[in-house]
Amino acid sequence: MAFFWQKRDNVQQMLADYFEQCDACYKLFEKSFKTYLEMGHGSTFEASVHKTHEAESAADDLRREIEYTLYGKALLPESRGDLLTLLETFDRLPNAAETILFALRCQNIRIPDYLQQEYQALVEANLKAYYLARKAVDNLFDNPRITLRSTKEVDEKESAADRIERDLVCAIFADDMDTGHKILLRDLAQLIGKIADRAESAADCIGIIAIKRQI
Amino acid sequence: MWQIASGLLLGWALGSNDAANVFGTAVASRMVKFWTAALLCAAFVLLGAFLEGSHGMETYRDLSEMADANLAFIVALSAGLTVTLMSTWRLPVSTSQAVVGALVLAGLLQHNLDSASLIKVVLCWVGTPVGAALLTVLLYYGVGKLVNLLAPNVFQYDAWLRWGLILAGSYGAFALGANNVANVTGPFYAAGMFAFAGAWEAQAACLVGASAIALGVLTYSHKVMFTVGENLVKLDAFTAFIAILAEAITVHIYALVGVPVSTSQAIVGAVLGIGMLKGMRTIDKATLGRILFGWVGTPAISAALAFLLYTMFVQFGLMS
Repeated sequence: MAFFWQKRDNVQQMLADYFEQCDACYKLFEKSFKTYLEMGHGSTFEASVHKTHEAESAADDLRREIEYTLYGKALLPESRGDLLTLLETFDRLPNAAETILFALRCQNIRIPDYLQQEYQALVEANLKAYYLARKAVDNLFDNPRITLRSTKEVDEKESAADRIERDLVCAIFADDMDTGHKILLRDLAQLIGKIADRAESAADCIGIIAIKRQI
Repeated sequence: MWQIASGLLLGWALGSNDAANVFGTAVASRMVKFWTAALLCAAFVLLGAFLEGSHGMETYRDLSEMADANLAFIVALSAGLTVTLMSTWRLPVSTSQAVVGALVLAGLLQHNLDSASLIKVVLCWVGTPVGAALLTVLLYYGVGKLVNLLAPNVFQYDAWLRWGLILAGSYGAFALGANNVANVTGPFYAAGMFAFAGAWEAQAACLVGASAIALGVLTYSHKVMFTVGENLVKLDAFTAFIAILAEAITVHIYALVGVPVSTSQAIVGAVLGIGMLKGMRTIDKATLGRILFGWVGTPAISAALAFLLYTMFVQFGLMS
């Protein structure tokens, strides 16, 4: 029977590793985006995107490993199901970061100087939503009593990020640049906004897991 | 002594079916390997029967003083055939009801039926599912409050429930052995077939009966465990744990009172208790109707079969 407890401990450790890897991916994303704003598309940005991609792939590998361990009947069926759903939902967050960087690299989007601060603010608001979702995960595993409070904070931050995104899109279309450029800039803002949306979905999932364990 | 074969067959059938009521959930959800569950179940059935099974034996002796071992054979065979018949109709029925149905007929034919004991047994049949349902409600709120107070994280909650299901299952197996062993060798004990053991007469009957149940658990409980367990897993792990614990406590209480009752009835009662907590809409009325039919029909069919076998035995000159 010790085999089952060992599997549980393995899952717990692998989950901790996975979420650390997601954090690493987001730190690299933040750095890459800053580099793009400061230096544009160049070798430094390319190297940074590559590192982010590697971190995202490493997180993907860990996620798959956890899923195989869970499919191998570690934990109770409902815990298994809940953790698989959480992983599936959370995994869309590192994907979002990678997608934004790929969009910048492939489309070489030129961000006008006067909008750079707005984009930076949008990224920061979305990053905050991500880190709040991470805090909610930590609370779910370490301090379940305050999990729901953390998920509420994610929801509030998502609303704040949405407001910044809407203002930014309005500012883009208030300019007299060509329509194609406007659309690229709007799509970029919407891609960045997906981080907070996905953080909110992850927080919803975390909240449900916490509520299910309250009798 | 050959007559005891029908009792052993009944014990084997009981073990292969009723183990599912105590360990089905844990095994079907792969929390515990089948062999771990089967060995735990067999060990605790033996322990429960040996330590506390004699109360039920006395009840059977009170119910009908059987002078003839052939009559005990008829009782066990009628009960075994009835349970098998009900199983083919997929009805979770009670071995106890089948045995008592046949035993009452034997008592009537032999003019030695103790109606006071019969009333006690029938009242306990009604009390089993009702008691299990009420106990489920109490345990749900009590243990639930404790869980909320301790606020375990996902992994602690998981570990607690695993241990809870294993401990409740083992306790359920103990209660199963203590309570149901009388169904297997009770009629033979009543017929005095274990008198050779002297002061250990009841314990000898318990040990033989429990061995048959344990054999049923070890050799043929796999399929039923998965069938019952997977149905039970439709409850979440916490409510499944509460239902099994309520079932085990209920059956154990009746073992101490000395009335053989059904683990199937207790688990159905406990699940209905969960249904009451989650809203009566969740209870399938048609299934409930079928189960109730099974509970009324089981002693009646068993008694009818016992009458048929008794008539045959008399016709062939095996009994007077």
